[in-house]
Amino acid sequence: MLDLFFQFLINTGYYLADYRHVIMIIVGCVFLYLGTAKKYEPLLLVPIGFGILVGNVPFFKGFGIGIYENNSVLHYLYFGVTTGVYPSIVFLGLGALTDFSSLLANPKLMLLGAAAQMGIYFTLLGALFFGFLPKEAASIAIIGGADGPTSIFLTAKLAPHLIGPIAIAAYSYMALIPVIQPPIMRLLTTRKERLIRMPPGRDVSKKELVIFPVAGVLLCCFLAPTALPLLGMLFLGNFLKECGVVNRLAGTAQSAIIDTATIFLGFTVGASTQADVFLTPKALGIFFLGAVAFSIATASGVIFGKIMNLFLKEKINPLLGAAGVSAVPGSAREVHMMGLKTDPTNFLLMHGMACNSSGVIGSAICAGILWSFFI
Amino acid sequence: MFSIDNITNGNGWAMAAVGAVTVFLGLVVLTFVISQIHKILEFWENWAKTRNANQRRARKEDSQKNKGPAHQQLRLPTAAELCSIYRPLVEQLKEPFQLVQLYEKTKEMDLPHPHLSIKCLQEADVLVAQGDGTFIWDKQKAN
Repeated sequence: MLDLFFQFLINTGYYLADYRHVIMIIVGCVFLYLGTAKKYEPLLLVPIGFGILVGNVPFFKGFGIGIYENNSVLHYLYFGVTTGVYPSIVFLGLGALTDFSSLLANPKLMLLGAAAQMGIYFTLLGALFFGFLPKEAASIAIIGGADGPTSIFLTAKLAPHLIGPIAIAAYSYMALIPVIQPPIMRLLTTRKERLIRMPPGRDVSKKELVIFPVAGVLLCCFLAPTALPLLGMLFLGNFLKECGVVNRLAGTAQSAIIDTATIFLGFTVGASTQADVFLTPKALGIFFLGAVAFSIATASGVIFGKIMNLFLKEKINPLLGAAGVSAVPGSAREVHMMGLKTDPTNFLLMHGMACNSSGVIGSAICAGILWSFFI
Repeated sequence: MFSIDNITNGNGWAMAAVGAVTVFLGLVVLTFVISQIHKILEFWENWAKTRNANQRRARKEDSQKNKGPAHQQLRLPTAAELCSIYRPLVEQLKEPFQLVQLYEKTKEMDLPHPHLSIKCLQEADVLVAQGDGTFIWDKQKAN
């Protein structure tokens, strides 16, 4: 009986745990804390944080329990990540939730979304410089797009062994927008620039809103067909919302479907961060390069806003460039807050959302372009 | 391990340049297109309005052109004109005559609006009632 008891103890997680599990469990708890107490992107950090806890409970390998073991339940759930199914479904919901009217009212703001994608390409060079393989470098670079599903999608296609660290890095930096972006915005803009007021946009007709997803999917996907799984779903979701004849489908896409995909995506990505595959020097490099990518993306958006002002009669607030990253709506909110701090009557949220939505399109195109380089 | 050569070997410069230019061009084209959507729609709506207005006008004109004789405003000859038309008919009848006889003559000659014409001649006192259902032609009035 004592032998059986000892054998049971040997099989418990307490016995099998080492310091790496403890580190990852602490990381999971930090995510849960940030998500629940600080309310930093709770919809993402809560499932991911809990997934990290679940993924880092030590167990005997070979019993079909872990996420990397064939035939385990977690492995089947993880299938949606490795095939890129969850990111596509999330994009469907995102499209059904996104209102492109502010972008249609002020199309030039889309250029800020394009400029913010420069962070991706600078990071690509940086990752190659640090010795990552080209496919790995492309997967790391996409973190600069600040779009979790896009990062996961591209990594699943190019470097599946890095999904865990890249997804965690992407979502961490998205959650840390209030920490990362404001200093860069302050550093690169003068008070006078931050005070620039944006005129209210013109009224956008229903017909424009209906035509936009059709024009968008055709133009973007003809340019980068590899972005079809993301942009096709994004614009489908938006068309469902705007056409007005399938409100039931649009309602489901923007609630039940995106919520279900987000839960499974977050949870399985969290669970994929098993200490033995996650705590590696590569993961540290990815975290470092992810921060660089995010910072350069923010900076290039702001700088491009300043460059645009050299040519525009009606100046734009260069803070909006920081919202060109596709972290919806976090970066738009941060731009708005920064604008309010400088002038409490300057409201930039709607214009920030325009840049944000163009950032979503831009980063998905970038993912498609990067993927196509390796086909 | 850290080297610029890694970038060159991994085709990094080309990928970064092509990628950056492509995404920028793509979004510039999309920007241009979405900035034109409302103008195209406005042009289309104006064109549709003009076309509809033209069609309505054309329809109206067509319908006026296609109106049959029954719909056209009736223009009867004057009493004097009627006298010159009806005199040869009356001369064929023996006075006093019944209106039915005159009517039959008009039918034979295929004259238009015989009822209205006979009524007009009555009102002009060219056809004078004899009180027994017969009429005579007043030559004096008819001149």
